[in-house]
Amino acid sequence: MDLKPSPERQILFDTLTKYFENEYKIADRNTAAHSELGYSKEAWEKMRDLGILESLIDPELNGFGGTPLDISAVFEALGRGLVVEPFLETGLVSTKILGKGNENQKKLVADLLENIALPTFCHSENDTDYRKSYVKTELVPDKEGNFLVTGKKVMIKNASGASHLIITCRSSGDYADEKGITIACIPSNRSGIDIKSFSSIDGGRVSDIHLENVAVLKTEIIGNDGKGFEIISEAIDFGILAICSEALGIMEKIKELTLDYLKTRKQFGVPIGKFQALQHRMAQLLVEIEQARSAVVNATINFFDSNERSSVISAAKFSIGKIGMLVAEESIQLHGGMGMTWEYDLGHYAKRLVLIDHEFGDEDFHLQKYIELQ
Amino acid sequence: MDLNFTEQQQEFQKEVRDFLDENLDTKVSEKVRNGISISKSESEDWHKKLNNKGWLAGPWPEEFGGQDWGVVEKFIFEEECGASGAPRIVPFGVGMLAPVLMKFGSDEQRKHWLPRMLNGEDWWCQGYSEPGSGSDLASLKTTAVKENDYYIVNGQKTWTTFAQHANMIFCLVRTSNEGKPQEGISFLLMDMNSPGIEVRPIITLDGSHEVNEIFFSDVKVPLENLVGEENKGWTYAKYLLTHERTGNANVAISKRKIKKLRKLASETKKNGTALVNDPLFASRLAQIEINLQNLEITNLRTLSSVESGEAPGAESSIIKILGSEIEQDIDNLTRKSLGKRAFINEPDAFSVGYNGPEIEPKAAATASGKYFNHRKKSIYAGSNEIQKNIISKMMLNL
Repeated sequence: MDLKPSPERQILFDTLTKYFENEYKIADRNTAAHSELGYSKEAWEKMRDLGILESLIDPELNGFGGTPLDISAVFEALGRGLVVEPFLETGLVSTKILGKGNENQKKLVADLLENIALPTFCHSENDTDYRKSYVKTELVPDKEGNFLVTGKKVMIKNASGASHLIITCRSSGDYADEKGITIACIPSNRSGIDIKSFSSIDGGRVSDIHLENVAVLKTEIIGNDGKGFEIISEAIDFGILAICSEALGIMEKIKELTLDYLKTRKQFGVPIGKFQALQHRMAQLLVEIEQARSAVVNATINFFDSNERSSVISAAKFSIGKIGMLVAEESIQLHGGMGMTWEYDLGHYAKRLVLIDHEFGDEDFHLQKYIELQ
Repeated sequence: MDLNFTEQQQEFQKEVRDFLDENLDTKVSEKVRNGISISKSESEDWHKKLNNKGWLAGPWPEEFGGQDWGVVEKFIFEEECGASGAPRIVPFGVGMLAPVLMKFGSDEQRKHWLPRMLNGEDWWCQGYSEPGSGSDLASLKTTAVKENDYYIVNGQKTWTTFAQHANMIFCLVRTSNEGKPQEGISFLLMDMNSPGIEVRPIITLDGSHEVNEIFFSDVKVPLENLVGEENKGWTYAKYLLTHERTGNANVAISKRKIKKLRKLASETKKNGTALVNDPLFASRLAQIEINLQNLEITNLRTLSSVESGEAPGAESSIIKILGSEIEQDIDNLTRKSLGKRAFINEPDAFSVGYNGPEIEPKAAATASGKYFNHRKKSIYAGSNEIQKNIISKMMLNL
């Protein structure tokens, strides 16, 4: 029994954490995060040169990582750094899906590593229905044996800067059936695609994508027609593991910022951390963050256990959703007015932590799912 | 990261299971499963069986009659016992006093008292809290004054668990009023049959008798019953408290209880369907289950760092808070699940001689009683607020 990260992963985590602390200033991050692109190309390229992408990608696709343990370690570090560059949708979920595709699609992963392609994952269609199988966007065959896609995708990350869109489509069945989902990967400049992009409260851009009779070649289908669910299901589970680990990194960083504040801010002549009312709230946060870490560890070590994965993934996302909101709200409260300002780092961490609950299914969705699995 | 036990540890786990299969009296385990206190003789029988196997004090070093278990072996043993409904080993002697004697006692004390703990000659209780000294333990007032070959002890202890069974007590007493309160405390061993000791029961909310008050008036205690040095008792007490607080996760027991609750809720109807399918109930149940799973990993993470040589610090406080709250949550939901049956309080329903009306479901006989009794869990062994003070000081440096 050994529940500590291996020395190699600890080194990976420490190296990244140190890099972000020295090279990735939150003020610069905020400027980029609220720019038109939603992140910094320069920072993205530097991080790519560091090998962060490779650490998320399997060796057979020219990476050197890609296991749940690698992903968890890297995303915890990304969370601590509040990195807004598109490692989740592009670096992880997209590459997991492309890895199940044909040679051209696998080549897109290599192109991403070479910085000549930037795919993103276009899946959600409904603002409140988080089911993985919720796909209405229609894929119909045309006369030449190719396809046409029509529908709408909502709140897609990194769509405005993407070179390729990985789109889940329905080729048969009802809108929430697991059968009949087909994945297409097409260049983002194809005609019939209209991207409307919005500023995202936690940084970056989110887009609604309208697709109208968009042409898809049969070679642009990933996997088999109608059999896409398993592929996206596993990729999304990787995404959940990653975002839970990101949240954990954010919580640890928030814990440090808040503790620091409690030790330096003085009122009534003493550091406010001397007051028991605040000590107990802080101690409670520590207890909850340890439970959040355990939830992530549980999901990581059981990821490939087919009997357990759905259950531990939902338990983790539920725990992160519940504890994340507590940590965000309490840390703002403990900071008083400072927690409310744009200038101070804390609030930006808190915003990302809260919005993580809106990605891949929230606290209630995963509690319900956990109940159904018992 | 790896959750698996080594082959050797797996063999040990099987050995424990086989032992429990063979030796655990089902009448006793049924009582334990239903939260009924077992009798003194049932406890002593169980201790004897364990001692014959060499497992009454598994974590002790071999030189004192133990097995030198590491944290993982201890964990496996406690998990298996918890899951099977084995009685808990009464901790005051083997689990609490023994480590203090091994570290701070004299050779004579070790030679005399440790074997008697194993063979059941002594039943120990713990004299710490006083009416005016609970969380602020160092303010304790019971005095011990040296007179020739004896200490003369006067004062009062309270919340003393199983004092009614005990023939020996280890006590914190005041031997000096100089300096800080912590600096005048000594650690004394006393014979409960000494003249001047009186034990009065305290009956708790559920009607049960677990704890007592003890009054000391001019009790003579031989000088050789002082452990370590005079006025150093606080150091020994703190050492003991860290032992008291480890193993408070109670994961196996909570798992067993929540399984039982799930079964109960699947056999109970609400609005025509099984209670377990009621959305509000299912949500409460699932949240406790997830919390418990997380605690299980939190506990294993702590064990794993202790095993690799890191000292257990305030992690035991985290585990004490979570373990007690989760157990209380389960007791609370069990009570709720019984609806109007929760009014019943018939702890004797599990005794051999019970001749009252049948209770259906049988769990109703004790559910509310256990709920009230287990409010103690967030109060004893350092209240959960005290644990937060410890976390603030030790882990957060506030």
